[in-house]
Amino acid sequence: MIYERRASPLHAARAAVASAWCVVLAGVSLSFEHPLVLLALLAAVIAAAAGARVADRVLLALAFTLPFAVVISLINPIVMREGLTVIARFGTVPVLGELDVTAEATAYGGVLALRALVVIGCFALHSAAVDPDDLLRAFRRVSFRSALTAALATRMVPVLARDARRLHDAQRCLAGAPAPRRAVVRAVAAGALDRAVDVAATLEVRGYGAARRAPRGGGRPWSRHDLAFAASAVGLSLIGAAAYAGDWEAFEAYPTFSAPVDARLLGLSAVLALCALLPFADRRGVGR
Amino acid sequence: MRRAALLIVLALAAGGCGLGAGESQEGAATLTVTRDFGTREVGTGSADPIPGGETVMRMLQRDFDVETRYGGGFVQQINGIAGGREDGRPVDWFYYVNGILAEDGAAAHKLAAGDDVWWDHHDWGASADVRAVVGAYPEPFLSGIGGKRLPVRLDCADAAADACDEVAERLAEAGVKAGRSAAAGFGGEGVLRIKVGVWADVRRDPAVRRLEEGPRASGVYARPSAAGDELALLDAEGQPVRTLAAGAGLVAATKLSGEAPTWIVTGTDAVGLAAAAAQLEEDALQDNFAIAVEDGRPVALPVEPPPEAP
Repeated sequence: MIYERRASPLHAARAAVASAWCVVLAGVSLSFEHPLVLLALLAAVIAAAAGARVADRVLLALAFTLPFAVVISLINPIVMREGLTVIARFGTVPVLGELDVTAEATAYGGVLALRALVVIGCFALHSAAVDPDDLLRAFRRVSFRSALTAALATRMVPVLARDARRLHDAQRCLAGAPAPRRAVVRAVAAGALDRAVDVAATLEVRGYGAARRAPRGGGRPWSRHDLAFAASAVGLSLIGAAAYAGDWEAFEAYPTFSAPVDARLLGLSAVLALCALLPFADRRGVGR
Repeated sequence: MRRAALLIVLALAAGGCGLGAGESQEGAATLTVTRDFGTREVGTGSADPIPGGETVMRMLQRDFDVETRYGGGFVQQINGIAGGREDGRPVDWFYYVNGILAEDGAAAHKLAAGDDVWWDHHDWGASADVRAVVGAYPEPFLSGIGGKRLPVRLDCADAAADACDEVAERLAEAGVKAGRSAAAGFGGEGVLRIKVGVWADVRRDPAVRRLEEGPRASGVYARPSAAGDELALLDAEGQPVRTLAAGAGLVAATKLSGEAPTWIVTGTDAVGLAAAAAQLEEDALQDNFAIAVEDGRPVALPVEPPPEAP
């Protein structure tokens, strides 16, 4: 997934703020277990992707994540020994021992899968809507070498992907059976090493190793989008912390699955989604 | 193809596979939760009939607030009482089924009719290996191990005929029919033995003689002297609190790896042996790891340490 500037509030916000907003949204989803809250957060992520005009990319990422989510939901009931309601018995299985699948472990597997979808949706949105160069520039102040390494890595991945595509195209032009995938990977990896040596030599010649931190200040002033997404991130964090401290979601996975839905939980889900989506309402100044 | 599928389905069914929890079992299972070697009760529970697929863990979770570790296989906390360290001593939850320390996880141990499940939270610094206890009497003699009733054999010492008769009578009252062996036979996986005799006689059995090495070897918090004329009563840390001499008795259980438990009804002399035999009853043994008999009265083992001087 490659970043592309689009006319949206999230793209208009500075990279550090947009990145923090995505990370906070993912973090909030990790602090909740109730399926209704997770569904609300998933809906918020998809709506945010639509607001950022990257819905197609985020939905594609979620579609790719679905098999992974299914695997999570299948593994949990196999490895977890919790839950009172046995729905299937597999007798004694080597390594696992006595294997009883319970309804509670199965349901909680679904919760974990849903949570994985939300987290991956957040990071897909991050990849599609946060400018990596801006983000690395922001982090350059914190650690120059780390930022440089990350910048090179993020730039090398698309380069290697293009190499692989070119090799694949060249293969298709040849007669006979296509070369095995392993050969393509080997060729791309060899190319990557060559490039890495070249890049290292160039950086050394240019004296990058002696560079110091970038100077502070001189950046652009905070825009309304910066402020809106920062406020949203703070709001999401506070709601998440308050809900966790106050035990607002009465959710129990074991020994019996209990996920009651009451007005407070509906309100919590709505407030979380609203808090995440409000910054997208202001579309002034989002042009390219 | 159909035949192969049918064979697979039949094989799975024969291996205990199927949908749902399975059929309920006729008969009851009981649950006791205590702490400090059975001295303080936390709660009780029961299942009658036993739900299909019921395990020790599920039975516990139905009646108690349980916190687990390692994917639900290990009990860390029951009703807020957690394993870990208390006053610098290691403590944890252990469970016994019919008086025998389970060798598998609670989540994997299926219940059988008649099972007496006992969870106890105790200090394991002196012995992490208390493999058999007497507190589930008349189990394991009545229901056996894993739903399979085992033969019971009284190994009576030559001079212990009266005590042996008393033990046999008490077992019969509890519904247990025991065979009798005059010789000091060895144990095994398939037989529950009760050794009856004064210590000097029963100590010939290697499983029984381990009591002289202390709780780390035997799991019993009492240490008879090799001569058999003294019985040291130990506290939870394995330290001797007091020593009994003439007229002292002991009812305890121990277990060698790979064998069924061996019970010991013994005394420092004939008087102590008779007193111990007289204590083979549910009221005296209930929820005790083992008992000593002092002046004809049962003393729970391990004993409370003496109060500190002011």
